[in-house]
Amino acid sequence: MTVQSPVHTAPAAAGGGSRPKKSKSWLATVPLLAFVVLVFGVPLVIILGGTFTREGTLSAANVTDSLQGAYLTALLGSVKLSALVAVVGALLGTFLAQAVVTSRFRLLREAVLTASGVLSNFGGIPLAFAWIATLGNSGVVTSALGLDSAGWSLYNFWGLTLVYLYFSIPLMVVVVVPALDGLRPQWREAAQNNGANTWQYWRHVGIPVLTPTLLGGVVLLFGGAFAAYATAAAMVGGTVPLVTLQIANALSGNVLIGHENVALALSLDMIVVAGLVMAVYLPLQRRSARWLR
Amino acid sequence: MNGAKVELRGLRRNFSGTTALDGLDLTIEPGELIALLGPSGCGKTTALRCVAGFEQPDEGAVLIDGADITRVPANRRDAGMVFQSYSLFPNLSIRDNVAFGLRVRKVAAAKRHARAQELLELIGLPQIGERYPHQLSGGQQQRVALARALALEPRVLLLDEPLSALDAKVRVTLREEIRRLQLSLGITTIFVTHDQEEALSMADRVAVLRAGRLEQVADPATLYDRPTTAFVAEFVGTMNRIPGKLSGRTVTVLGQDLPVEGDVPATSDVEVLVRPETVIVTPDPSSEAMILVSSFRGSTSRLRVQLGDLEMLADVPGHDTVRLAPGTRVRVELVERPVLVSASSDVAAAVPVSEHDVV
Amino acid sequence: MAALTPAGPMAPVTPPAIAAGPGGRAGRPRRIRVWRGVVLLVAAVYFLVPLIASFTFTVKDASKGFTLDAYGQILSAEGFGKSLLLSLGLGVATIVVVLLLTLPAMLAVRLSVPKLKPVLEILCTLPLVVPPITFVAGITTILQWGPDHLADTPFFQTIIAAQNPDFPVVLVLAYVILALPFVYRALDAGLGALDARTLVEAARNLGASWPHLLFRVIVPNLRSALASASFLTLALVLGEFTIASLLHYQTFPVWIYTISGSQAQVSVAVSVFSLLITWLLLLVLSSAGARQRSGS
Ligand SMILES: Nc1ncnc2c1ncn2[C@@H]1O[C@H](COP(=O)(O)OP(=O)(O)OP(=O)(O)O)[C@@H](O)[C@H]1O
Ligand SMILES: [Mg+2]
Repeated sequence: MTVQSPVHTAPAAAGGGSRPKKSKSWLATVPLLAFVVLVFGVPLVIILGGTFTREGTLSAANVTDSLQGAYLTALLGSVKLSALVAVVGALLGTFLAQAVVTSRFRLLREAVLTASGVLSNFGGIPLAFAWIATLGNSGVVTSALGLDSAGWSLYNFWGLTLVYLYFSIPLMVVVVVPALDGLRPQWREAAQNNGANTWQYWRHVGIPVLTPTLLGGVVLLFGGAFAAYATAAAMVGGTVPLVTLQIANALSGNVLIGHENVALALSLDMIVVAGLVMAVYLPLQRRSARWLR
Repeated sequence: MNGAKVELRGLRRNFSGTTALDGLDLTIEPGELIALLGPSGCGKTTALRCVAGFEQPDEGAVLIDGADITRVPANRRDAGMVFQSYSLFPNLSIRDNVAFGLRVRKVAAAKRHARAQELLELIGLPQIGERYPHQLSGGQQQRVALARALALEPRVLLLDEPLSALDAKVRVTLREEIRRLQLSLGITTIFVTHDQEEALSMADRVAVLRAGRLEQVADPATLYDRPTTAFVAEFVGTMNRIPGKLSGRTVTVLGQDLPVEGDVPATSDVEVLVRPETVIVTPDPSSEAMILVSSFRGSTSRLRVQLGDLEMLADVPGHDTVRLAPGTRVRVELVERPVLVSASSDVAAAVPVSEHDVV
Repeated sequence: MAALTPAGPMAPVTPPAIAAGPGGRAGRPRRIRVWRGVVLLVAAVYFLVPLIASFTFTVKDASKGFTLDAYGQILSAEGFGKSLLLSLGLGVATIVVVLLLTLPAMLAVRLSVPKLKPVLEILCTLPLVVPPITFVAGITTILQWGPDHLADTPFFQTIIAAQNPDFPVVLVLAYVILALPFVYRALDAGLGALDARTLVEAARNLGASWPHLLFRVIVPNLRSALASASFLTLALVLGEFTIASLLHYQTFPVWIYTISGSQAQVSVAVSVFSLLITWLLLLVLSSAGARQRSGS
């Protein structure tokens, strides 16, 4: 640092004698706390209030509506898609990370890590268009391989899974590489020395040590896929039932008169699902990381 | 359980250019504790890993009780290993760490827990079974690693600098404990270290390695008193190098004629290797030699003596310190016994080569 | 994870006996290398094909065969400059606001009120649990509801002003919330790595001169954490589609979507382009981080 700051010359033995008597520094947190409460808290309260209001009166009708018919299908569709993407993405991401971590080529490692950093941020509209250009109805690969005549379509559940994995796998790589680096070679050798084969090493040591990280990665991937809207909107419009698409639809006025607050109820459903995932994840995480404390 | 005989035959290992082992031959008798000693990078770890099966020699063979195990995978060898540090499985309690090998062999839980408890008592830590590795001190962790290595009752124990990460005091107590255990179990043990004091004080025999080859293997006293090569002599203990004139198998040094042992160089200008404790120092006002520094060490004192443009070290009994204060003029002689010589190095002054000392 | 594909014959674990059977190990290293090669190859195909195909898509032309016209048309396309500037402006504003809010608060918590740390941590992580689309549902409702009920109060003007399409402040507010978790984590890691001496001295001088402390002691030491927080925020704002499109603002991603109907090639070209920009930003960021590490 080029900064020659006077604090560096403060006598070390002073022992903080100049410390203010009653610190007011907590005041520095007030703007942030106030901002979050206002900008984040108020909309949440509105969602909660709106969900239980229909045409000005207290009612659970919005919730009931949001949990049946097309809305329920959409909610379940989102959960299914996200769970699939989370589990498959976590598995494949871990395999890829392990392949890179155990490689002797430093350059490969650097390249994959940088690419993962970029691709894990590659979402939304550009991602959808890249895939549409590749495997869409008139995509380059589709026409090159003649997939269209074979009945191929990207615009369905499986197509979405394929596309979501494109940012989920790199995200998992980013998450899991430090944990894989943390597996000490001595552990593997000590296990072998005690008669364990490769599988037994992973079963008793490798996987348990990685579990907290893997769980965290799964939840992160689930959250990312569950909340994704732009990619789905650009790719499938309404053909795949997803709760984010339904909320957007309702917000744009495509609801029965008087049922506008269904969008809020669906939002609340989403928050509850996310909360449930957390409620399952946190105790699991604590259990699997027991040995860390 | 008793120990197995371990033989290393012509082990050769090359790592993309660097030769770690260059034809290493060594036989370790059943129940013996042998220390592998040598400068950093001389191949000690590589040799040990060849015995454990983590490393495959390019050439040569490892035999245990006469059977060639060079190609047997590490997890089917009969050797327990203790690593330098951080080798306990962090996710398993201490008890499960110790019982890991039994669990892999599908031993019933009750039985393996009993065995783990037995081992924890053996290493003097009976109460820590429920804890996790990060809750132990470094010394405790290494004891547990030792217990884990012994759990399967191997007939060979391999230790790769197991004490180097610990502080001096713990190191001394722990090495005594390892020795005690090893003797009571009668297990053949290979102990890698670069601490000569550790090697000399624990081992039945010490093998000195140099650049992947065996330089000398002998019991500690012989190694110290009768090193066969200059390398061993300088590596183990402290040596003075004093210029001398060689004629046949006698060398003239400081006006004395001493017999030479070991190899004899071709030139007649040689340096004579002399231990500080074989230098005799007596006060003599008419002599030109003078004491520069005297450091008291309890039973002995180490003197630094100036003799012309030569400086040498001498160890004298502690009670002589008063007579031999710095500034005193002294006469310097050598004990009459065979000495090692080596060709003169370019260094003009015979500065003592190594400051290590064996207390 | 070599072990998940059970490598090697699951040898029946015999009691400790040194069976001198040769050959048990000879084939293993190669099998591992094959496994790794297959994984890397599949990954390379999966990740590279869409990029190559997208590029091919933008340069192929029915009559001419190969053309870079689509990239040329980006600049002249209607609304490109305006939407990109809007997104960049929003990004900069968001970075400024989020750093001004979090940095003092996190410093205060670390230096003198550690009791508040859990509160801050939970508040800053909460937005991760709440999907943006639910957040925007709440905001839309307020924006519709507000004008009807607050017409006579000063809030009315505020709400109207916040929705100015030339610079929608409401988006900045929303983006600050979205960016909070990332910024919090980046800064928390940076502060954690700050050398102890700097922190102790900062604590001692607390209250003496805040601006001095902040800009001459903390910020220089936090450069790489600040850079990574800013990068993450900028990337987030440049790519954010959900909130902007549902509130009907023409930010850059919304613009790409809008033109895709009429100019498919251009929209794909912009997509490829935006990926390149992310990549460049990341490179700049990591080299800045490396420079700081070697510089100090
Ligand atoms: N996996 C490896 N890859 C490349 N070179 C290696 C490898 N392992 C050891 N070497 C090289 O082989 C030589 C011997 O190494 P080894 O670890 O056996 O030395 P050592 O005697 O144990 O040294 P130290 O006392 O420092 O532990 C060294 O030159 C080392 O650099
Ligand atoms: Mg070593």
